[in-house]
Amino acid sequence: MLTTLATLAALTLGAVRQDRDPGSRDTTVAVQPGARLDVNNFGGEIVVRVWNQNNVRVRATHSSRSRVEVSSTAAAVMVRTAGRRGPPSIVDLELTVPAAMAMTLRGHYTDISVEGAGGSVSAESTQGDITITGGTGSVVVKAVEGDVTLSRTRGRIQVTTVEGDVRVADAVGEVVVETVDGDIFLQRMDAPSVEVSTVDGDIVYDGTIKDGGSYRISTHDGDITVGIPPSASVRVMVASFDGEFDSSFPVDVQRSGKHRFSFTIGTGKARVELETFDGDIRLRRPGEVNVRDARNRNQNRNQNRNRDEDHDY
Amino acid sequence: MNHQWTDRLSEYLDGELMSAERDALETHLAGCAHCRDTLAELRAVVARAQSLENRAPAADLWPEIHARLTVRRRFSLTVSQLLAASIALVVLSGGGVWLALRDGSGTSDPTMAAFPQLVAPAGTPVAWRARTDMAVAQLEETLAQNESRLDTATVRVVRQNLGIIDRAIEKAQRALQADPGSAYLNLHLAQTMRRKIELLRRANALAVAES
Repeated sequence: MLTTLATLAALTLGAVRQDRDPGSRDTTVAVQPGARLDVNNFGGEIVVRVWNQNNVRVRATHSSRSRVEVSSTAAAVMVRTAGRRGPPSIVDLELTVPAAMAMTLRGHYTDISVEGAGGSVSAESTQGDITITGGTGSVVVKAVEGDVTLSRTRGRIQVTTVEGDVRVADAVGEVVVETVDGDIFLQRMDAPSVEVSTVDGDIVYDGTIKDGGSYRISTHDGDITVGIPPSASVRVMVASFDGEFDSSFPVDVQRSGKHRFSFTIGTGKARVELETFDGDIRLRRPGEVNVRDARNRNQNRNQNRNRDEDHDY
Repeated sequence: MNHQWTDRLSEYLDGELMSAERDALETHLAGCAHCRDTLAELRAVVARAQSLENRAPAADLWPEIHARLTVRRRFSLTVSQLLAASIALVVLSGGGVWLALRDGSGTSDPTMAAFPQLVAPAGTPVAWRARTDMAVAQLEETLAQNESRLDTATVRVVRQNLGIIDRAIEKAQRALQADPGSAYLNLHLAQTMRRKIELLRRANALAVAES
């Protein structure tokens, strides 16, 4: 977020304070059932809440250099922000929409927050945090830099980011997450299929292991912690080049190569694949999965790494 | 070690050996750790390839692989071919890579261009890696031309994360030098290279969107 603000400051040529003389807009438009919300805000915030009305209310706070356009058709309500002259500056948008409304939210230097969505959500920001509570059917998030936090979603989650942590909690449905430099925490999940990977970061999965389910978790440089319920029937495959394996309950390991081993719990109806090139793999019972510990470990690791990088200069 | 059985392992895995051959191989497996490990790696590769079914690229290359994995008594992949095919699936599972490779292939047959291992009996993961390196080089060159369109903060993030991926690739390559036959290390390298290609594609797409 600091980067976002710094970049926006640069964009507004150092005149942020002067240009933040507030302009405002408060518009309400009626929407047809099934209409979609489509928002594009170059920089600032997009905050979406829901209500039980067939209207979309758009409140915007911005400088006199910016303008906000709201238009609607039977199929969509569109909100666009732009600069009156020159580059766009900061616009903070607060929208209140029908609970079931599907939405597409885009921005460049934009924090996006959605609370209580009942339809599908697609959110994309180059730099900024994205937080979504709710979402049904499909929740798609694309980011470059910023943390992603999802909760109480129902349906398929797909998150693609580059730098930032991804946290998902209390979600029902398939999950696909990819980041390069960031941790991934999945808590209280009810997922038949999970495919998550990072290059540099820890991964924690705490949730159901369903019969017939597939759970693929991989990192290059980081630890993996997975909760396996006692009732799970699962075939677990583990691969690591340089790391240790630790299970809080007994497993009958069969080594199947220099870097691989596997074991079966129950009759092996689900499939779990865990891979870390350089890191530890821990299996825990659900109550033993401690996300806070994982975060602390990672913070320590990042501090050490930053210290090392400082010494390199 | 007795390697006379090594290239029969995929037939064994597919249940294609005659019962006498199967018995002989199983006797051999009981005393040969090398073949046991290779068989286990093969099983993992096949499982991985099957798990990628839903992620096949738009050109729908999976049926080609799948047919060759499942056709009975007509075609059997060697260990290295299976591994190469699996790596191809891993890297190609990002649909855009397909285009990058096809554009650089100079051939009109995209399926064959993307899977030289399947038509060349001596296909190896190493050969495929060279093609991936070429695709990466093309995307890097394009990004170098385009990145002035991106703001400095985005360029910094992209460069930092490409550095993270490059370090991961280096480590995987070093590990592979010591253990070139490891399916895990080959697939891990392929996955990491795929991540690099995806990030380069994403950065290029952002740059184009900015223009």
